[in-house]
Amino acid sequence: MNSADPKHDDEAALIEFLSSLMDYTPTIPDELAEHYLGKSGFQCPDIRVFDCRTRLVALATQKFIAEIANDALQLCKARQSAVVKDKRDKLQKDKRLILTNDDLSKALREYGVNMKRQEYFAESPSTGMESAARDD
Amino acid sequence: MNDGGGESRRNIDECKSERGGEQEEDEFGRAVTRVSVAQICESAGYHTFQRSALEALADIALRYLRDLGRSARFHANLAGRTACNVFDVIQALEDLGSSQGFAGASDVNHPLAASGALKDIIRYTNIAEEIPFARAVPRFPIPKTRKPTPSFLQLGETPPHKHIPSWLPAFPDPHTYIHTPVWNERGSDPRTEKLEQARQRRKAEKSLVSLQQRLACNGATMASMDGELKGKRPLDGNNPFLAPPLLSGEKEASLVPMPAGLSLKSPDENIEKKPGGLSVVNAFAPANEAAKGGGLIDEARQLKPKRPVVQFKFGLDKRTVNPAPLLFGNRYNRTGGNATDMSWFSRDEEKDDKKKRAEQILKEAMENPQELVQL
Repeated sequence: MNSADPKHDDEAALIEFLSSLMDYTPTIPDELAEHYLGKSGFQCPDIRVFDCRTRLVALATQKFIAEIANDALQLCKARQSAVVKDKRDKLQKDKRLILTNDDLSKALREYGVNMKRQEYFAESPSTGMESAARDD
Repeated sequence: MNDGGGESRRNIDECKSERGGEQEEDEFGRAVTRVSVAQICESAGYHTFQRSALEALADIALRYLRDLGRSARFHANLAGRTACNVFDVIQALEDLGSSQGFAGASDVNHPLAASGALKDIIRYTNIAEEIPFARAVPRFPIPKTRKPTPSFLQLGETPPHKHIPSWLPAFPDPHTYIHTPVWNERGSDPRTEKLEQARQRRKAEKSLVSLQQRLACNGATMASMDGELKGKRPLDGNNPFLAPPLLSGEKEASLVPMPAGLSLKSPDENIEKKPGGLSVVNAFAPANEAAKGGGLIDEARQLKPKRPVVQFKFGLDKRTVNPAPLLFGNRYNRTGGNATDMSWFSRDEEKDDKKKRAEQILKEAMENPQELVQL
């Protein structure tokens, strides 16, 4: 009996959560989530009603992205506070937080996503090749 | 916004095209994802972002979404169902979240309702503020309504054979599947073809050369022209006497003035009727005449049948005064030359007298700039 209670509690909490989910609009729109879930085989009911499963998935994705964004933000702020020790003026200017590729790749490494970024960009695909041709 | 990621975006586009049209169909979905991810970042505290970073994050969000769906489907199939359950979703969450870890992951037999991953989500829902998507998103993708092929009955045709009922869709038109080769009916004579080609090539070359000369002539006269003359039509001001002097060999020696020859050679009677202005027929008469037989067309186009009156304007500034070009006309007239153009040469002698007088006046002007009288 004791073991049934926590189960019952958990299930009750789950049911309550799912019903509250219908009021909560995740940032990722439902149509988008339905489209991509349909592509991967997530069966939707025939009645085109946005059910809690889709919402749950959308919410989970939102949480995931928010976590990554938060981690990248921490990195960005840490870098700013390390640089600022020279002048106080920089603090005023660098209040703008920019999501950069560097921060993102560092944050994603913890999540198992290996994002590599180009170190430098050439002007055109044939830069450097022309000089080789001229030497010939 | 810092657009340092422009190049990487181009690489992504190339990869897209390599993978085929699959990524291109997703453009709308990706765009919507980009917007929503941007909104999430904004709520996290970011002000701006690099475009390539945003695209990468949107890509990751989409992959996560699809992976969740795939995982959930897998768990449902494992349980012998095709429709996914909430518990399938929770199991999928645990699968994907296992790399970060959640509370109670090591407990294999825990009830799903008490899953740590779910609890994380519930906590997130309670903490984070609700941000609805910025715009209304239509349901997509919109299915394309295809027009079915009309049947025999609808077209009013009878099917070709008895065994085909008339309510079936009609056959396609024969021209869509029968290809009849088309032969060139004209008899081809290689010799005449070659002659024709050579003739056309010659014609093209002639017209190009004459155009170049005409442009050069115009350019030479325009460069030394007075400011007052600029308002006039270039053909009127196209006075070779005002052009800067040319060294021998600079211009082609075949520049032969033949206005009399033009009237003689050309069978077109319009030219004699209109000696004054430069009509379109005059301009094209040499071309017409060349097209008929071939001859000197270049130089004739530059000259009009009647020479305009030479006007000398003297001013205090020396740049308009250039005695050298006065000689230009002489050489211009004397190179080449046709014995029959006697009328042309007589007119030329008059011009020489004028030039001599002009030179005298110029000398006086040079010596006595203060006593100069404007002519």
